[in-house]
Amino acid sequence: MTWLYHPLQIPLGLIVWGVWFIALYSGLSVGCAVAPPDAAAGPWNWLNVVLGGASLATVALLLGLSALCWRASRRVGQNERAKRFIARVGASVHLVAALATLFIALPIVGLPPCV
Amino acid sequence: MIEGRPDELHQQFDEVWGNPRGWRAATIVNHTRIGLLFLLTGLGFFIFGGLLAMLIRAQLALPDQAFMDADTYNQVFTMHGTVMMFLFAVPMMEGLAVYLIPKMLGARDLVFPRLSALGYWCYLFGGLILAASLFLELAPDAGWFMYTPLSSLPYSPGVNSDFWLLGITFVEISAVTAAVELVVAILRARAPGMTLQRMPLYAWYILTMAMMIVLGFPPLILGSILLELERAAGMAFFDVARGGDPILWQHLFWLFGHPEVYIIFLPAAGLVSTMLPVFARRPIVGYRWVVVAVLTTGFISFALWVHHMFTVGIPHLAQAFFSAASMLVAIPTGVQVFSWLATLWLGRPVYHVPMLWLFGFLVIFVAGGLTGVMLALVPFNWQVHDTQFVVAHLHYVLVGGMFFPLVAAVYYWLPHFSGRMPSPRLGRWGFWLVFGGFNLTFLVMHWTGLLGMPRRAYTYAPGLGWDTPNLVSSIGSFIMAIGIATVLVDVLLHFRFGVRAAPNPWHADTLEWATRLPPTAYNFISLPSVDSRYPLWDRPDLVKEMARGEQGLAAIAHGRRETWGTDAVTGEVREIIHLPGNTWLPFAVALVLSAVCIGLLVKAYAVASVAIVAAAILVLRWSWENGAYEEGGTAVPISAGDPPLHWRTHNGPGRWGMGVTLLADGALYAALLFGWFYLWTVAPQWQMPAQSPLDARGMLANALLLSAATLWLRRVLAALRRGSDKGLRGQLAAIAALGLLQSAHLLWLTYASDLAPKATAHDAVIAVVLGYALFHCVLAGVATGLQAWRAHYGYVDRAAPYEPIVLGQLWYYNFGVVWSAYVALVLFPSTWGGG
Repeated sequence: MTWLYHPLQIPLGLIVWGVWFIALYSGLSVGCAVAPPDAAAGPWNWLNVVLGGASLATVALLLGLSALCWRASRRVGQNERAKRFIARVGASVHLVAALATLFIALPIVGLPPCV
Repeated sequence: MIEGRPDELHQQFDEVWGNPRGWRAATIVNHTRIGLLFLLTGLGFFIFGGLLAMLIRAQLALPDQAFMDADTYNQVFTMHGTVMMFLFAVPMMEGLAVYLIPKMLGARDLVFPRLSALGYWCYLFGGLILAASLFLELAPDAGWFMYTPLSSLPYSPGVNSDFWLLGITFVEISAVTAAVELVVAILRARAPGMTLQRMPLYAWYILTMAMMIVLGFPPLILGSILLELERAAGMAFFDVARGGDPILWQHLFWLFGHPEVYIIFLPAAGLVSTMLPVFARRPIVGYRWVVVAVLTTGFISFALWVHHMFTVGIPHLAQAFFSAASMLVAIPTGVQVFSWLATLWLGRPVYHVPMLWLFGFLVIFVAGGLTGVMLALVPFNWQVHDTQFVVAHLHYVLVGGMFFPLVAAVYYWLPHFSGRMPSPRLGRWGFWLVFGGFNLTFLVMHWTGLLGMPRRAYTYAPGLGWDTPNLVSSIGSFIMAIGIATVLVDVLLHFRFGVRAAPNPWHADTLEWATRLPPTAYNFISLPSVDSRYPLWDRPDLVKEMARGEQGLAAIAHGRRETWGTDAVTGEVREIIHLPGNTWLPFAVALVLSAVCIGLLVKAYAVASVAIVAAAILVLRWSWENGAYEEGGTAVPISAGDPPLHWRTHNGPGRWGMGVTLLADGALYAALLFGWFYLWTVAPQWQMPAQSPLDARGMLANALLLSAATLWLRRVLAALRRGSDKGLRGQLAAIAALGLLQSAHLLWLTYASDLAPKATAHDAVIAVVLGYALFHCVLAGVATGLQAWRAHYGYVDRAAPYEPIVLGQLWYYNFGVVWSAYVALVLFPSTWGGG
């Protein structure tokens, strides 16, 4: 599990969040350009379901990574503070990214996509 | 290693690191001098921009003012915003970082000193070109955001917009070079033992800011290139009738423009996080949480750009995403604010002048943050869009978030610049005048905006209820100006009358206070080892040990400029970074680039072309003076037990520099592809030909040719890493030839495709993508040829394998560019409704 102590863990959660955000915005734009759902159907349509499903999957991934990093931070010895720092910051960033994903995705359950 | 008494050592170091005077001062590459030049030039532009602000407020003080006509006002307000954002705020923050970062990290210089110097000269020349436009009455007049079609040729037919596009692009080269420099220095040139968790918080802030510049500035550079191509060459990108879309400009601009606010705020917050614990006399509360908050702010700030575009007709759900993200970014900012408050609460604060400015920052920035949350709400945003409320909010965030910490920092680090302490009395007068004047100006401006006064209007009729608040704002602005003048007088006077500063006068914890006051060009005669987050608090004797030459890398008899290269995570020493000395090259390159810029402005394309060739020759000469240049390959001495010089390793700072540069390059290319897909899906009159103008098989063959050359180079590099340089020169020459052949083929493909970039945006974007790929492929081919030549001289071999390894990244990048161009331009259209 050495990858959990790799410095890339520090920004990884936010990189995942960034990729998700780009996919969310471009997915919405392309979906509305290719096959816009009927506005009268409200928020429950194929596009919102796809965007919402992808968002939940991203949240699950980020929470899982956060838990792994946190456990990794508890496994290191006293003389491995650099490793612990990376794992703890990584766990925190993953958690923050998960919450950010959830918060930004919330409007999916309330608004139709292409209006 | 100590070679003699400390004063003799200092003399020897001065001989190697000394800065020349007179005309030869233009050859200086040392970070202390370059940082100071950035700061002084930024101050000059600040005064210029401030005077423009006074003109604006004089014009708006009374209704129906005829102080300026509409044209002049448009030029003045555009230049005020442009100067303050591009020529003051970012260069000032980068300049301060260029000055401070190596000292804080316990290094002697940044890792690419010539790049710092190039950045400074580009900034100066670009800024002067832009500023000159106002005196020629040809200044840009479409607003600092240059919205199309207002800035497009039909609505802005003179060269006003060209001044902005060319000048700002030139200045942004400076910002990106400094950012690359700072990222690599922070990751690879820290004091031994300075692990990631022991890094000063300021370094985290600057690392984040620099990465944001690397990723955030290229979209605007691309936008400026596209708009200039449209204006000068008639290509179509933002013209609806030809399949373009003016909203694409807004996307590209705000993809840069919103992170820009945090690019300005974060380094200022870093200054706060550095100074506040010193005056609170305790470590900052929640170091790790501040790091997480800084990173989070840096990332999330990229997802806010559409909140500047809530009224352009974007679907509600998309607006809701950006609204949520805009509100969310307040949370990590709040974490930092609470960390500062907790540090003050738990500490034993002492209130010197810098603390006054920090207090002003906390009050004003928090107020600006709150109106930011208000503006993040779509319905409220619709109501106050393009009113003075937004102007007031922007000034609260930027003046509160950047200017107040900057003045605090100036007072805090004055002993560094002068060796003297500032005057408390004038400092307090200056603060209260600025604080009072600022709030009088901009707090009232919120009200003016709520009353409906639009921004950018050059005058207004009486009786609308705007008269009194505008007059109050104007009076406030002049009070603020008097306050700023007081601060400037105080700073000037202190050089003559200030009390001599004691070593580490504020009892700070960071290593920049271990230098002499003012510092020498080499910062430290010996480089420290660090074993805590607060080296000067935990080891007060360290300063004397360093000055006596008892710490690392104290040898100078070899005549080289050196600093430690350390591991990015653990801070363990890996190599000695060999730094270049003073040279005319950066100044000359910037001068020639200025000629390119002016040539394009006056449409003297022959002059511009000659200057481009001259710039290319100078840059190749620059690259020749790397690594083993002059030193005869393997005969360079190092002290017993020292690690190798960086160009004898496989992973020196140049490799990291190339990687970060390619990230910036990739951000530009990604923005270009975004433009392609955006126009495709959104532009109202996007014209897709029935048959693609590109030769699909030719493009595939070209990508395969490049792949073959790249894979060959990969084999050569793998052999070099194993210690084999058999046939190196011949192989590099053959790879260069293959690369140039592929470039020639790509050029032919572009020519044969019979594109009509003036007729449709479709062809214009394809032309730019192909031009981009061609430029990079030629660059890789020529640079590889140069490496073959260096191998011929013995400067590159198995003992010095570094440069081809650095270059290898460009080939891998080009591999990605050409294949992604093939997918985007050939495969995708054939699948999704194109020819």
